[in-house]
Amino acid sequence: MADPKELMANYCDGDASAFRELYATVAPRLYGYLVKMSRSRALADDLLQQTFLKIHRARAAYVRGADPLPWIYAIAHRTFIDEVRKGKRAKVNVGDTDALPEIAADLSGAPADRKDEPRVDPELLAATLDALAELPDQQREAVVLTKLEGKSVAEAAAIAGTTAGAMKVRAHRGYEALRKLLGGRAKIKDAS
Amino acid sequence: MSDDDLAMPTFRPPPMAAQLESELGSLAPVVMRRPMRQLAIVCTVSLVYVAILLAVLSIRRDAGELPAAWMIGGGIAWFLGFVIPCYLALVPAPGSMLSRRHYAIAASLIAAGFFVAMGWMIHPQGPSSLQYGAERFILGHGCLELGIATSLVPVILGAVFLRGALPVGSRWIAAALGAGSGSLGGLVLHFHCRITDPMHTGFIHAGVVTVAALLAAALVPRATDVR
Repeated sequence: MADPKELMANYCDGDASAFRELYATVAPRLYGYLVKMSRSRALADDLLQQTFLKIHRARAAYVRGADPLPWIYAIAHRTFIDEVRKGKRAKVNVGDTDALPEIAADLSGAPADRKDEPRVDPELLAATLDALAELPDQQREAVVLTKLEGKSVAEAAAIAGTTAGAMKVRAHRGYEALRKLLGGRAKIKDAS
Repeated sequence: MSDDDLAMPTFRPPPMAAQLESELGSLAPVVMRRPMRQLAIVCTVSLVYVAILLAVLSIRRDAGELPAAWMIGGGIAWFLGFVIPCYLALVPAPGSMLSRRHYAIAASLIAAGFFVAMGWMIHPQGPSSLQYGAERFILGHGCLELGIATSLVPVILGAVFLRGALPVGSRWIAAALGAGSGSLGGLVLHFHCRITDPMHTGFIHAGVVTVAALLAAALVPRATDVR
């Protein structure tokens, strides 16, 4: 995998292919973060595009040799927060006509172009997303960044614009709350 | 519950939006941010501006009557109050793009408190010095205005340099930039204003730091936020 620092520097130097590679490298994790935060793929799609558009417009703020990932995550975080504050819903573009586009799907109803995503227990995924949704925004963000995205406490704090201490407390409380919420389900699973 | 229980699938992102694709079609190289160079520009331009202001407004008439150690020491303190918060606001830690927000806030608070204390506690007088006291305190608003006017240059330059660099915490960084710039206003007042009573130096000269920080926190994020 290419180094995001190099990709970002080449992109700032005018190399469009470096941006495409940066997108391919960063977008999957960023999209996962946004899905977990927004609990909606449609909204996450929209937020991801907004995030990359902002990155593109603010690319001159890049400092050569610096790690761009915390900055990119911070832009995604800000975009999500702004969206929550506005209380907007993702816009669905249905084109010039009022007809909805035809999308190929398999028998389960999943879009055909997403059939290659890794299969996980859908019940567990739903339960985890539901449990995450019940957490307060700040705790959910702390859990997603530190436990699911694998960021260090310091990185997560920089992304969220808070102190490492506060992030640690939020992550701990969020994790404990999530453990309680998922605990009952885990017991049922163990018994079966 | 272990971390494995939280394992989630990697979500497949959508392809790039058409708008982004079209912007990439006309991609031009950009000049990347160079924080130390930007800090040097902010300091140099601001000090030249201060020198011009002092040349136009004149140095205080009681300067020769006051202890040289206080004049020079106070000038150095105001200068450091300008440079340190500006450095922390503009220059991220090595390898990072995000500003050192918490250090910048701490430096600004220390500067604001220190200059109030300095104004209250150390205010030598000479025969040419003026005393306003509580009854004429309000007449000192001209110093506040001059201090704020001085702080505009570094604030505007800093805001231009920080465009797009502050996706989070922009208000705090702006406040630090404002506090630093307010200290530059204090530096001008230190060498220009001959009113020496503690209320004036403690509240108005030092108050420039706080007022500039509040104004910058309110206005600068409009220019620096990533849109």
